[in-house]
Amino acid sequence: MRVTVDRERCVGSGQCELLAPEVFEVDDDGAVRVLQEQPDDDGAVRDAVQQCPTGALSAEE
Amino acid sequence: MTVSPQDVDLATVDLSDRDWWTTPPAYRHAAFDRLRREQPLAFFAEPDIPGLPAGPGYHAVTRYADLEAISSQPAVFCSGRGAVSMQDVPAELHEFFGSLISMDDPRHAKIRRIVSKTFTPRMLERTLDSVRAIVDDVLARARAKAEAGDGTIDVVADVAAPIPLRVICDMMGVPEEDRPGVLANSNIVLSGGDPELIENDDPLTAFLTAGMEMAALMERLAAERLSDPRDDLTTALVRSEVDGERLTHQEIASFFILLLVAGNETTRNAISQGLLALSEHPDQWARWAADPGLDRTGVEEVVRWVSPVTWMRRTATRDGEIDGHRFTAGEKFLLFYAAANRDPEVFADPQRFDVSRDPNPHVGFGSKGPHFCLGAHLARRELQVTFRAIFDQLPDLEVTGPPDRLASSFVNGLKRLPARLTGDR
Ligand code: SF4
Repeated sequence: MRVTVDRERCVGSGQCELLAPEVFEVDDDGAVRVLQEQPDDDGAVRDAVQQCPTGALSAEE
Repeated sequence: MTVSPQDVDLATVDLSDRDWWTTPPAYRHAAFDRLRREQPLAFFAEPDIPGLPAGPGYHAVTRYADLEAISSQPAVFCSGRGAVSMQDVPAELHEFFGSLISMDDPRHAKIRRIVSKTFTPRMLERTLDSVRAIVDDVLARARAKAEAGDGTIDVVADVAAPIPLRVICDMMGVPEEDRPGVLANSNIVLSGGDPELIENDDPLTAFLTAGMEMAALMERLAAERLSDPRDDLTTALVRSEVDGERLTHQEIASFFILLLVAGNETTRNAISQGLLALSEHPDQWARWAADPGLDRTGVEEVVRWVSPVTWMRRTATRDGEIDGHRFTAGEKFLLFYAAANRDPEVFADPQRFDVSRDPNPHVGFGSKGPHFCLGAHLARRELQVTFRAIFDQLPDLEVTGPPDRLASSFVNGLKRLPARLTGDR
């Protein structure tokens, strides 16, 4: 799975980091950084993508 | 108590009437049920508040799907004309009190960035140890008070109010001697005009004075931290910048009001009403207390059940259509999170309090969109730590009387909740 972030849309809410801390981290700019671009396809990453309040994350197979 | 939606006469429901909000929650939820089914965008006139012109009225959004659709289109449904007041208030005023809540992009994005970088999950994990220490101390004091007296405590004053207040004041570095004033002022700002909390009957002046006092305190702290940095959020806020821009002291003051009001009162009400819900559902209390594995879902259910913030407002920036309703620019929509959180389209058996509910996509922290609560992790962790500590340290806590409800449509609050520490464990 490949994960990308639209940093313009991200508001740094950190919901994704809470759900999948190995994959997402809110960095010192106040927006999220993807730590692993091709994480294992586990439910947590999917939840994070789905629950991001601003729709800033996307995942492709 | 159960109330069936059929028992509700919709003609008597007035969401603008402060007294309506002191009716029992079961009744209010039955009313929301009927609104959701029969008039999902019901129209209400605005309340009369001395000193403010009455506006055109608003639509009460009670369906989860409509609420999500509106929240996720911030350009069409803006916050910048005021998100926390039914009436239009002067722009300086709502920005001052609402801070980020009443802003739109690009300003919202910029300030939210500055704040979010000082408020990351990583930063908050570091404050968790101090949260634990605060919770332990507050519970020990509650126990000492009960033992020194007749065994009774007030859950609100002795448990629920001091925890978030101390957490936030610690994070911001507010000195001990300023904290009682902070509590009193934050009560006024969020009183919803409840006459018991506002001494004369001029709520507007009382709000303004309380806000000014908090702002003055924060401006003083911000100035101190610039020359004498410490390891606190105020220091991080005065120093951080985005695109070369820093927060002004006034913006920091507004943000502090937001934190106090949004973070302090909501967490307090989640604790007190969570305990009330647990005492009304003793089976759920027993299950959760026995199983720390339920801390996460238990807290989510408390937030869904209580919905500490009942609504926020959006204002249409242009003409359009939602759920078959054609709206024009300027129309107001109140997003009733409390109603959406019991929408049977989304939640199975929504009127059941179930501490193991999972998934639980409640909108207690807001719905999709840029205004999702920035304190959500802090609140979640704080609540998890608090409920676990109560189960461990006050297992003999017993709610003994009906709560005293805050007369406010906006904050689902308790003023008092009598309880007893029975001494049996
Ligand atoms: S959940 Fe979305 S908005 Fe929040 S930090 Fe992650 S990407 Fe950004």
